[in-house]
Amino acid sequence: MIQHRESFSANIVRFCRFLRQKSFAVGVEEEAITLQALQFIDYIKPSIFRMALKATLCRSKTQAEEFDALFNDYWHQLSKAIDAKIKDFKKQKPASQQVPFKSLKTWLHGNRNDETEETATYSINEKLSKKDFSSIPDDEVDELMLLIRALAKRLAAKKNRRYEFSHKIKMPDLRRTLRKNLRRGGELLELAYRKPKRNRGKLVLLCDVSKSMELYTAFLIQFMYAFQQVYGRMETFTFGTSLKKITTLLKENNFREALQLLGAENNDWAGGTRIGESLDSFVNVYSKKMLDSKTIVIILSDGWDKGNLELLKKSMRFIQIRSKKIIWLNPLAGYNSFTPDVVGMQTAMPFIDVFAPVHNVESLRRLGKWL
Amino acid sequence: MIQLNDIKKMLLSQGYITDDTVAMSVFLSLQLNKPLLVEGPAGVGKTEIAKVMANALKTDLIRLQCYEGLDATHALYEWNYQRQLLHIKMTEHGSQSIDEKEKTIFSDSFLMKRPLLQAITHHKRPVLLIDEIDRSDEEFESFLLEVLSDWQITIPETGTIKATHIPQVILTGNRTRELSEALRRRCLYLYIDYPDFEKEWLIVKNKVPGIDAKLAEQITRFMQQLRGMKLEKTPGLSETLDWAMALASLHIAHLDKTIVEQTLGVVLKDWRDTKEVQMSLSELMDKTGIISKLGNA
Repeated sequence: MIQHRESFSANIVRFCRFLRQKSFAVGVEEEAITLQALQFIDYIKPSIFRMALKATLCRSKTQAEEFDALFNDYWHQLSKAIDAKIKDFKKQKPASQQVPFKSLKTWLHGNRNDETEETATYSINEKLSKKDFSSIPDDEVDELMLLIRALAKRLAAKKNRRYEFSHKIKMPDLRRTLRKNLRRGGELLELAYRKPKRNRGKLVLLCDVSKSMELYTAFLIQFMYAFQQVYGRMETFTFGTSLKKITTLLKENNFREALQLLGAENNDWAGGTRIGESLDSFVNVYSKKMLDSKTIVIILSDGWDKGNLELLKKSMRFIQIRSKKIIWLNPLAGYNSFTPDVVGMQTAMPFIDVFAPVHNVESLRRLGKWL
Repeated sequence: MIQLNDIKKMLLSQGYITDDTVAMSVFLSLQLNKPLLVEGPAGVGKTEIAKVMANALKTDLIRLQCYEGLDATHALYEWNYQRQLLHIKMTEHGSQSIDEKEKTIFSDSFLMKRPLLQAITHHKRPVLLIDEIDRSDEEFESFLLEVLSDWQITIPETGTIKATHIPQVILTGNRTRELSEALRRRCLYLYIDYPDFEKEWLIVKNKVPGIDAKLAEQITRFMQQLRGMKLEKTPGLSETLDWAMALASLHIAHLDKTIVEQTLGVVLKDWRDTKEVQMSLSELMDKTGIISKLGNA
């Protein structure tokens, strides 16, 4: 009997290890909790056993969805291997006929891209965030959009809702005032003030919508859209052959409408690129109003350019001097073999402060570090 | 000791109809003394779980509603400055020394306890509901993490307060923001989705007393169809119940197009959705199988 128990807990530990391989964040602590949980339930019943493990081992929606299939898979394999001991589990196998083979599917789709499988770290939706935007299957797009939206909101909301101590008059800080004056018997001689902490930086986003960027555009726009909803001090432009300001368009419409309007309004959409000319018109028309030493300029483009390189160089230099930082995001930079040898890219390179890939959610997340 | 079946019965007797997964999570969260993180779309009864749990355990429910910008002063405690000032003014000519004065105005009676402090100083082990945790910002989340693991709160003026009872914690979220892995690991996780037809029908019949079985079925079918559409705000279970309640109190025996049109506002809360649904209402009703049946009758 004792031996049976031992092998039982050993099996659970092994199952946890199996889950770990499937990028579940299951540590020793979780194993302990699971074993502890089994004291309280009648684990001879397969369905109850499964539910208890599910309740203790899952940490996110994706995991909860994948769990049943993984569970059935594992215990089925096990019962086949040992045969006699764990007969009970065979009974519940039929229930798994319509198994949501999501994990398998992800694996199949992701197989083209080795990175997807290798890494097992502690982030939820790991697989989805590592996947290149261009290889996302249709049915996962919604989930991905949700992820991007959440991420953008988080990045944008950072820092700016807190109060900070201030000498300029805004709002009285009663707590500090009281403490300051207590030694004088509570007469309020000296007042302390506070004001809301603000995100001081402005953001200018210039987004390439030409043919070569088409695959990534929808995701980038979603990111920009969500970011702008929260960030406020941000101006967004699109460019292909010419520059267009889309700040108000993004602000006043819901996402789907905005996307449609963008497509209808913008004849550049999926056309050629003339980065130099576009940046030049930004410099001429908007730079005075929008650029200052606290502004971060983000350019999203792959650098495929059919325009004037001299103009590109000139406007890049101008923007670099007038702004805090230029961040160039290039979706192609996510590939290992990438070198910035496109002419447009090479021209722009000397003026760029941060050059980063932006081909999956993970890279968008890393973007937060620079903002 | 509480058994799994007891939890099921408790949930049921409180009018909470659910599948076994929910009962299991609630049960284990109680037994293992771990917080329970419940995620799912709006209006599927996440908050309800906490209420039912408090009811079942015959204890109080303390609720902390999270929002963007929520900070420690709104979650933990704040000194009642107005009272402190008044007190100082009133005792101005008294003989108390400054130290004594300080002691008085930083005493319990000037302390305004916010939900977290209330929960750990409660006389009986309460259920603490931290609602919509994903709406608060990251700083608050990490602060919360600290409270949830130490169960003590330090107030600089008076000292450290240790929890008298460790509350039963339920956190809910809509997934508008990723929660940190650290917080997730501290909790048991439960995802609640929209109920399927059978379950929703059962809930409607149970929660809306005296509703016509036929009507309940039609409402449920309609809602199930509605959720298949791409809407800005997909209606949840609470919308179903509101609608059923409204229709039942109007003494309506079955759905037809006019009635649906007139009462759509109960279900849809976004004007774009309303427009879209109105446009495709006939098709929607056909799919639900309502029109054709009634047309023949």
